Amino acid sequence: MRKAGIILFWAIASLCVIALVTLPINLQTQLIASIAVVTFMAVLKILRAEGTWRLTALAFGTAIVMRYVYWRTTSTLPPLNQLENFIPGFLLYLAEMYSVMMLALSLFVVSMPLPSRPSRAASPGKYPSVDVFVPTYNEDSHLLANTLAAAKAMDYPADKLTVWLLDDGGTLQKRTSANLLEDQMAKARHQELQILSEDLGVRYLTRDRNEHAKAGNLNNGMKHSQGELIAVFDADHAPARDFLLETVGYFEDDPRLFLVQTPHFFLNPDPVERNLRTFEKMPSENEMFYGIIQRGLDKWNASFFCGSAAVLRRQALDQTGGFSGVSITEDCETAIDLHASGWNSVYVDRPLIAGLQPATFASFIGQRSRWAQGMMQILRFKFPLLKRGLSIPQRLCYMSSTLFWLFPFPRTIFLFAPLCYLFFDLEIFTASGGEFLGYTLAYMLVNLMMQNYLYGSFRWPWISELYEYVQTVHLLPAVVSAIVNPRKPSFKVTAKDESVLVSRLSEISRPFFIIFAVLLFALLVTAYRVYTEPYKADVTLVVGGWNLLNLILAGCALGVVSERGEKSATRRVKVTRRCEFGLDDNWYPATIDDVSVHGARINVYAKSIGLLAVDTRGLIRFKPHGSDIEEILPVAVRNTQVDGDIVTIGCQYLPEAARHHSLVADLIFANSQQWTEFQLSRRGNPGLFRGTLWFFGLAFYQTSRGLAYFFSNRGAGDKARKSAGAKK
Amino acid sequence: MMRHLLLALTFAALSNTLLHAQTLPFDMTPERPALTSPTEGQGGNGTVQPAPAVTPVVEPAETEAFQRYILPNGNLGLTGEFEDRTWSVYLTPRQAASGARLNLGYQNSIFVAPEASRLSVEVNNTNISDQPIRSPESVSELSLDIPKGLLKPGSNLIRLRSSQRHRTDCSIQSTYELWSNIDAEKTYLSFADNAAQVFQSLDDIRAIGVNESGLTRFNFVVPALEQPGTTISLMRLAQGLAVLADMPNQSFSFDTDHMIASRPGEMTVLVGTPAELQPYLPSLPTGAGSAPVAGFVEDPKTGTPVLVLTGPTWQAIRTAIESIVAPTDVVAPVRRDVITTQRWRAPDAPFLFSDTRLRFSQLGLNTEQFSGRRFRTDFAIGVPSDFYAAAYGEAVILLDAAYSPNILPGSHIDIYVNGSIASTVPITSSGGGILRHLPINVTMRHFRPGVNTIAIEAILKTEDDTVCAPGATGAETPRFALFDTSEFHMPDFARIGQLPNLAATAGTGAPYGRILEAIPLFMDRIDADTLSAAATFLGRLAVGAGHPIAVETVASPALIGNRSAIFIGSLSQMPQMVFTQMNIAETSRNTWGPDPGGQAEGVDTQAALDEWRQKLRGGLWSGQINAFEAWLKRNFDITLTSLRFAATSESSFTPSNEASLLVAQGPSPDGNGTWTVVAAPTGRGLHEGMQALSAQSNWEQLAGRITTYQRGTKTVEAVPVNAFDFMPTQPASFSNYRLIAANWLSTNILSYAVLLAGLAIILGLATATLLGNLGRRR
Repeated sequence: MRKAGIILFWAIASLCVIALVTLPINLQTQLIASIAVVTFMAVLKILRAEGTWRLTALAFGTAIVMRYVYWRTTSTLPPLNQLENFIPGFLLYLAEMYSVMMLALSLFVVSMPLPSRPSRAASPGKYPSVDVFVPTYNEDSHLLANTLAAAKAMDYPADKLTVWLLDDGGTLQKRTSANLLEDQMAKARHQELQILSEDLGVRYLTRDRNEHAKAGNLNNGMKHSQGELIAVFDADHAPARDFLLETVGYFEDDPRLFLVQTPHFFLNPDPVERNLRTFEKMPSENEMFYGIIQRGLDKWNASFFCGSAAVLRRQALDQTGGFSGVSITEDCETAIDLHASGWNSVYVDRPLIAGLQPATFASFIGQRSRWAQGMMQILRFKFPLLKRGLSIPQRLCYMSSTLFWLFPFPRTIFLFAPLCYLFFDLEIFTASGGEFLGYTLAYMLVNLMMQNYLYGSFRWPWISELYEYVQTVHLLPAVVSAIVNPRKPSFKVTAKDESVLVSRLSEISRPFFIIFAVLLFALLVTAYRVYTEPYKADVTLVVGGWNLLNLILAGCALGVVSERGEKSATRRVKVTRRCEFGLDDNWYPATIDDVSVHGARINVYAKSIGLLAVDTRGLIRFKPHGSDIEEILPVAVRNTQVDGDIVTIGCQYLPEAARHHSLVADLIFANSQQWTEFQLSRRGNPGLFRGTLWFFGLAFYQTSRGLAYFFSNRGAGDKARKSAGAKK
Repeated sequence: MMRHLLLALTFAALSNTLLHAQTLPFDMTPERPALTSPTEGQGGNGTVQPAPAVTPVVEPAETEAFQRYILPNGNLGLTGEFEDRTWSVYLTPRQAASGARLNLGYQNSIFVAPEASRLSVEVNNTNISDQPIRSPESVSELSLDIPKGLLKPGSNLIRLRSSQRHRTDCSIQSTYELWSNIDAEKTYLSFADNAAQVFQSLDDIRAIGVNESGLTRFNFVVPALEQPGTTISLMRLAQGLAVLADMPNQSFSFDTDHMIASRPGEMTVLVGTPAELQPYLPSLPTGAGSAPVAGFVEDPKTGTPVLVLTGPTWQAIRTAIESIVAPTDVVAPVRRDVITTQRWRAPDAPFLFSDTRLRFSQLGLNTEQFSGRRFRTDFAIGVPSDFYAAAYGEAVILLDAAYSPNILPGSHIDIYVNGSIASTVPITSSGGGILRHLPINVTMRHFRPGVNTIAIEAILKTEDDTVCAPGATGAETPRFALFDTSEFHMPDFARIGQLPNLAATAGTGAPYGRILEAIPLFMDRIDADTLSAAATFLGRLAVGAGHPIAVETVASPALIGNRSAIFIGSLSQMPQMVFTQMNIAETSRNTWGPDPGGQAEGVDTQAALDEWRQKLRGGLWSGQINAFEAWLKRNFDITLTSLRFAATSESSFTPSNEASLLVAQGPSPDGNGTWTVVAAPTGRGLHEGMQALSAQSNWEQLAGRITTYQRGTKTVEAVPVNAFDFMPTQPASFSNYRLIAANWLSTNILSYAVLLAGLAIILGLATATLLGNLGRRR
């Protein structure tokens, strides 16, 4: 009753606002109202008002957005009888309406995200049996060894924990392939992984045929196991020791719970972060999703399975016939099916795994293409808005998640719309300068402020636009093909262990340079037309300004596709851990400064050892977490640096026994707290103004870097391309 | 019931008269008595005596043909490169039947190139003249033969079209130097048959026409003028005549004894019992002693027709008056489709009440091809008195036009509403173009109740004009075409009456036109001047409303109560309530004196202040703020005074001594009625002021809550409305209220911002509560 009253009150308030914003008021009134609202929002933002004020600020923004939509719909579309203007004009209108709809959906999802859940440790003595699935296809055994070792090292009663290596690269189908090379590789892999599993105490499982890709692989794992819960880790996602303890408890609380999802935390930067050098100081792209959106989804019981770093209930999966495999994003699809059959999900907002993400721009795009195509398939086959069994909020949440991937269309339209005017003199948006100021500019400002309000410390200004733009160029064809032919896309495993040794242009960088050139030309046309056609300079300047924004984005993207060569393949994680360094039977006191999956840097207190030769063999002795016994990890010295009494040694692990992998995993993955700290260290909201300035500076620098790569690397391009896929 | 019967009888009598009159041969014999009675053997036993038919004229000695001036507003300037004027002239059957010539006198600007400029005249859509314009030195007269049978009884369309080109200059500016002045005094229809002067039936009242200045006047001679019982009838008669004649500049004057000789555009109206009228008209229609009579007789002195309304008693005279007025009555307020404007611009203006689309062809515009540089044409539409969309509303012109490849970008098409710019569409592409239903939003800011003129002006620039080779001005290749398939689209607009709103009263006689009961009319004294002013004012209202408005005289303001009323008289004699309700300073009762005369005017305070501002611009902070204000005003039409939450209350008004007439409007004490005051310092000032104000060009400026007329400068000044009351005129509907709210909030800008902020805060709170109660909370 109370709830109905609240809904009614809200509906009446909304109707009043709608009635007010759809009044055909004049421009002066709109202008003053816009100024008032923008000022009010700015004040709230400066005061960092939260709680109710946050929602009030959002309501203010919504009012201006709705006024914009009303005005845009009623008075800016070109007349229908001017088809040359109307068609592009209407496309632009649709693109804007899509953006507004996405804003509305994301407002629904994230206007009041669930606060981070307090730790819910599993109750001692009530540990359900867990099967850990690590599906693999073609990942390197070193990588797998780390993951498996970390999984095996999780704090959990050993008799309740079974780790499964689900190998799809060594299936019978592959081992008897007509392709000799594939056949031989598969056989070798089968052999190698069996031994590795044996050493680590992990169950190895493969199957006859590679059917239904990852979903099929996981279902095969389910067939052979009996655990009450199933934890899934991608081959490169190594869990922290407390992963299970932090997650399985929720299953005890809610018998209808099918999923506990945790964030994906990455040790290495994605190509955008790497090439722009923002990994250390700016929140990662996926932090917006895992930091805010999943929490928002969680409020509506719509947090969905992301393929890895999650625990699922076998009983629930059995009910829907295991993991779904219609689309190439089996994770989200499975979650929809289970939500629709009345199961619940929970999201734990704390990184409990660390993994790798694609290092090259090409594989980054490959990964995103899979997501986008998969979401298109879900949209097509399981249209969430009309899916029976889902609650209304869940439907909206899933619509938000799937429709998001249509962004390449509006992005493309926004990119080319100004050119319609600048090159072809089409008038696809009929508005005067004053109207532009009163409606469009206010809308844009409000939009930016709302985004900043919603995602402030998780997403800096213009970064969303940059990510969307760099993906759009190659995602548009992928999305179109998935829409045209939804059964065609097939599962492709994303390569994540590549590295870029030599600075070079990405092999798929050409379109970016072409677009940049076109937009630059449009800038020159703008200047020319302002000079030669003074009677419409105002319109030209507005459109030219829009084009300039596009140009800045496109310029920044040039930096994104100019891959920086890097020495270290993976990101180093700062740890400060006591150890001893052994050299020629002498043990020196030392601290481990930072670690990566390949090696560590150690500060050794030793006056006498001096510079060590490369490849000198050494030992690190330390106590793994939760153990009192010191263990030894062999390493090879890569470099030394003497600073007084402290010698800093960079070394590479030389794992010989399976136990060594566990030690490496312990060094890097054991402590999940350090990842949280790292994430928090780069979470800060620079604010709209400072963020914009920073971005423009960045874009300017990246444009010049991209152009420098373009002109200097053209000759070297072929050579670089050959080494592109080189694995370290 | 009785009244109806009476009317029916009157009609019967009238038609009978008409028939009879037609059968009567015209007689030129001067020896005949001035008045004969053609009505023998008719209806002597009824209550109504048939009106006398016209009597043969005593022809004056001179042979000069009878002339009718035809320019409805006096001298007519045909300006610019293109002008097209159409209006109608009402002819009596006799006038139509008699052969006529059209005389047209004009003089043009020295800059008009005769070889490239033409003036054409059409009568009833038949071209009777198309000649070069070549009379820069003096007024030339064209005497144009009108083919027989072209003129018809009733309305006849006269159309003047001018196409003028500059002799040497190709600039846009130069087109303003082009004019041809049609001289009203020398522009007339002259009838071969002098009998055309004679009015036969009451219908011929419509043919009253204009004098050489475009004015129309009814001169009443009523010996019993000051008897209180006559006033209502006289007012009713005046209104009936006003509606029948429907001329743009008509006024009434009353007199008790002087019968002035009628001149063109004037009509003498004699009202009284036979005994009263005897001194003026020696031979009254027979039967006037026993029954009501209404009809024309000949003025024995001048031979011009005189309208006589007589009867044995004033009761009978009233019946006679009804026979003229009743046909103009409406039984219930009906919605008019058009506002009659054809006497000064044809066609009649369509009356728009709601969403309407009109083709230009319906609005009287033709497809035009134009080879000059500034094309201007216009049309008229009518808007009801409860129009309330000036702040937010936008009408749309869907323009079908074309321009040739040599038109340069930078040319533009402008829309003017009532002379104020309302929209500009730049032509931005070169290479020519065809505009197909190009939507042009026209702000309704300058719309006002009544007739509105919307002008379309195309400013066309070409390379040729920049070079301006000799003869370039006369080039005949069309550069621009306007097609009559273009449309004017009036959307639904907010409709609610506002009080006070003199513009509505001036435009459509609102709200009096819609009130069915008799309106109390308070006059401080009943004399010729006051009655003249009252008749002229009421005549104007009746023309606006389209029908006579019933009035009753009240002796004491106390009898008015809260009804809508009209007060006419000298300000000093107005009841105290009037000052309170109109917010006029009570002191002006004594201080408002006669205009000291037409001496040099004092310094215009506002202009002087602006001048000082200009001089002192660029000072310190204040200069900056002024500059910012100016910028806001220029670009967004926002002034600091327009930033308001709601209307401020009116300040008290004191008429200045320059003002010779004042029209004010305000609510009745309980706010339900509308009081309108017409006042002057003296009775004579009242008469003359009202007469001047009733001229169309002045009457159109009646607006706001108070309007004054300055005799010295011949200007009209309006005091704008600040605070007003809404007077609902439409049935309650959401869509209308929504539009009313839009207009109110567009006027009170800050209120919208505050309302939006308030609602957003409520919505924010509601959302917070909602989200706190829905979904997971922890």
